[in-house]
Amino acid sequence: MSESLYTQLLYLAAGAFLLTAVLILWRRELAVIVRILALQGLALAVMVAVLAAREGSVELWAVAGGIAVLRVGVLPHLVRRALTGAEAARRESAPSVNVASSLLAAAGLTLLGFAVSQPLVALAPSPATQAVPVGVTVVLIGFLVLVTRRRALSQLVGFLLLDNGITAVGFLTTAGVGLVVEVGVSLDVLLAVLVLQLLATRMRETFGDTDLDELRELRD
Amino acid sequence: MNVAGGVVQAVVVVGGAPLLVGVMRQVRARLEGRAGPGIGQPWRDLRKLLGKEPITPRGTTELFRLAPLVSLATVLVVAVVAPFVTTVPTVGPAADLFAVVALLALGTVVLALAGLDTGTAFGGMGASREVTILALVEPTLLVAIFALSVRVGSTNLGAIMTATVEDPARVISPVSLLAAVALVVVTVAENGRLPVDNPSTHLELTMVHEAMVLEYAGPDLALVELASAMRLAVFLGLLGNLFLPWGLATGTDPVALAVGVLALVVKVGVLGALLAAAEVFLAKLRLFRVPELLAGSFLLSLLAATAAFFLA
Amino acid sequence: MIWLPILVPVLAAALYAVFGWRRASTWLAPASAAGVLAVAIVLAVAVAQDGPRTAWLLRLDALSSFMLVVIGAVGLLATVATPAYLRAEIAAGRAGTRTAGRHCLLVQLFLATMALAVLAADLGVLWVAIEATTIVTAFLVGQRRTRASVEAAWKYVVICSTGIALALLGVIVLNHAARHATGGPVGLDLVDLSAAAPGLDPGVTRIAVALLIIGLGAKAGLAPLHAWLPDAHSQAPAPVSALMSGVLLSVAAYAILRVKVIADAALGAGFARTVLVVMALASLVLAATLLLGQRDYKRMLAYSSIEHLGLVALASAIGSQFAVAAALLHVLGHGLAKGALFVGAGRILQVTGTSAVAGVRGLASAHPALAGGVGLGVLALVGLPPFSLFASELGIFRAGFGEGLGWVTAAAVVLVVVIAGALFVHSGRMMLGDPPDGPGAARAAVRLPVPTAVAVFGGLAACAVLGVTAGPLGSLIGQAAEVVAGAR
Repeated sequence: MSESLYTQLLYLAAGAFLLTAVLILWRRELAVIVRILALQGLALAVMVAVLAAREGSVELWAVAGGIAVLRVGVLPHLVRRALTGAEAARRESAPSVNVASSLLAAAGLTLLGFAVSQPLVALAPSPATQAVPVGVTVVLIGFLVLVTRRRALSQLVGFLLLDNGITAVGFLTTAGVGLVVEVGVSLDVLLAVLVLQLLATRMRETFGDTDLDELRELRD
Repeated sequence: MNVAGGVVQAVVVVGGAPLLVGVMRQVRARLEGRAGPGIGQPWRDLRKLLGKEPITPRGTTELFRLAPLVSLATVLVVAVVAPFVTTVPTVGPAADLFAVVALLALGTVVLALAGLDTGTAFGGMGASREVTILALVEPTLLVAIFALSVRVGSTNLGAIMTATVEDPARVISPVSLLAAVALVVVTVAENGRLPVDNPSTHLELTMVHEAMVLEYAGPDLALVELASAMRLAVFLGLLGNLFLPWGLATGTDPVALAVGVLALVVKVGVLGALLAAAEVFLAKLRLFRVPELLAGSFLLSLLAATAAFFLA
Repeated sequence: MIWLPILVPVLAAALYAVFGWRRASTWLAPASAAGVLAVAIVLAVAVAQDGPRTAWLLRLDALSSFMLVVIGAVGLLATVATPAYLRAEIAAGRAGTRTAGRHCLLVQLFLATMALAVLAADLGVLWVAIEATTIVTAFLVGQRRTRASVEAAWKYVVICSTGIALALLGVIVLNHAARHATGGPVGLDLVDLSAAAPGLDPGVTRIAVALLIIGLGAKAGLAPLHAWLPDAHSQAPAPVSALMSGVLLSVAAYAILRVKVIADAALGAGFARTVLVVMALASLVLAATLLLGQRDYKRMLAYSSIEHLGLVALASAIGSQFAVAAALLHVLGHGLAKGALFVGAGRILQVTGTSAVAGVRGLASAHPALAGGVGLGVLALVGLPPFSLFASELGIFRAGFGEGLGWVTAAAVVLVVVIAGALFVHSGRMMLGDPPDGPGAARAAVRLPVPTAVAVFGGLAACAVLGVTAGPLGSLIGQAAEVVAGAR
């Protein structure tokens, strides 16, 4: 693969990755959000596939396939399963910060993300590390979603966004962390989402809704 | 100096803008199952309005009478200097990004002042809404085009487009992708299209642009309508040339100009038809939701700008 | 041999998975915890003689073996109290035998993951183990299936997973730095990392360390990501609260110590110290403010855990060998005292049916044994002699004044005194006065089950003995502190 094509494809995938994160922040309908989340997983898988094609590494291709299965298929499916049956709960009705402000906050976070990741880029400049700030920005946006959204499922989405961003940073710094750790990390994330999905289901059984606004039992 | 290019652009934009509006209305009508008035209807309306006696409301000042002219003039200047058919500048560096944006903003502001000048409830309401939207849109517009200019190293629209013509692959980059989405939203908002404003309503609760120009009649109204049609054409033209620069002439020979005109007509026509088709499926946003849309597009343009700096 | 502390609880968990909660399997859990403690002691002796040893993915040094001792000891305390607790729950209809079986299974897995965390040779494995603790405990926190407990479980998983995700980002960033270290690329192995630390890029390492400390701080209950702790601790079943408060927080603090070793070698002592001091003081201030008006005694204990982990963080920030040794002693003492208190508090909840401070009165006359245990526990917790928390707090403060953190330490002392006052007032209200009349009086006859009494008084006795003399543990603590502070 030629250098410029590689760079362009990589950045295109990175751009799509970032765009989907912004769309998740923007949209209110949970069903749509879950679909965008799957798209983001696809962008991530494409990013890894481009890296794999570049390095000619079979292992990385397998990882890209694994990411596609996990983040395009399994995780959105789990979220969707928590969603079905809760017709009334399909909208993020009352984020604690309105959407316009959170979009502007995301703009600030973007700049922050690019600013803090400068040392990472400077350490080993390459087309892949140039895109690391995108991953960091998605992490920050995921954090924003987690903090400002009240619905249980939106928080779940925020967590997955955060996790996608971290995974992207992991691959863009192009340094594997060892197979055991990688498998462990994926397994942990899958289990965490599974636990959260079960809890969301249980919460709906208990409260009839997954609105965390209802959760006012525990406070000081 | 490229007088021929400038004249051709002006003629194409002035002549084509009402037709563009006609095409869009026709597309919409057909999609809604109506026969539609035909694409020449806006021109027929303009002719009729121009033939009427000029009337201005009592108590209005010169500002009210001059506003349509100024508004039309600013769009006309943009039509002449910005690269629509050819990238060779007509009047030197006037095709600068900031100059173009400022000219377009001037047109809007003058009309808003005229709306206030009438002293009516609708005029004031429309003006305040229009200025709110303008204030939200301008930063997006500037940042988005700025993002595109970073790699070229110049804020001259001609230079940006030339660079894209020479290397079409750069259209498929995160910068263009994000900036394109932002600019589409800007185009929609600046021209008062759905879902920000509904151009075909006179319902007092929702109208923005129409409320502002409610007091105009006769030839003045014709000028206002023509200016707003040209504005739409100018925006769609810029959008088309920034992201689909094929066919744009880089020289001044007549064949290239002819190709350029054809390409512009096709691009703007297709974009307009797409916009009209999309409008069929959209409802107008409530006014307080509009800032959300515009904040989103601002974020996208900002992302484009940061991406331009860091992913290069 | 090194794998034993992990394998023993895993085996016990497998047995629970097969047999469930039966009469025969009742004492399996304490036996497994005792096994962990025994292995930990054997390993500690071995390490003291032969130095660190490694196996696949694992490394055992003095610090790990000390943490294993803590896990074993507090694990034993909690599991001894478990059967009585579960029987009372089943009798009250709040749990079935299936829930009880699952409880025991998950607690064993919890012990295994914590043992893996302290034994991990690799920062990545350490991360995986700590995240795994969140997953296995999530259902323990939500066990009672009430509104409050499901909410607590949700918050617990969301906040801890988020915090730990930040730590993962830190691991990845540190890995990035390690691959481009000036002395040639290194992996995430803790020893390799601290050896190569001077060659790490300072800018990148700074980001990584900040992310790691804040992220792991979430799991350790330090501000700013502490919000899960009072909820989870107050809603979890008492033995689980004891384990979470007594060991889980300390395991996260252990991870922070490991990170700090690398950070100090790469960046000098200043950076990690600043981050930790800020977090420690924030946690102390938070604990003090919320304890003053606290109305729920389980939450009161939870906030006291935030306070004690804040002190541990402060000691880590000071970073001298003496301070770290005091911190380790504090971890063990706090684990024992807090474990005993949570077991006692769980018992109070079972006999009175309320977790409100105002709902419990005259405990001393109605349930003298229980009141005695809890009362002594509170005395231990506020750091009165002879309990070991007195010695360790004194040590931390002395080290703080000695190492140039005078103002910070002074602030900490004031806050600790305020917190002690609050604890005294609240628990005094529960102990003293007349027992409530009327229908409540009928419950007064409930006897304190022997295993619960053994757990409460055994834990406190161990804490008191430690305060008088650390015995052979003293040298282990010394060696462990050298692992952390020796590099300086």
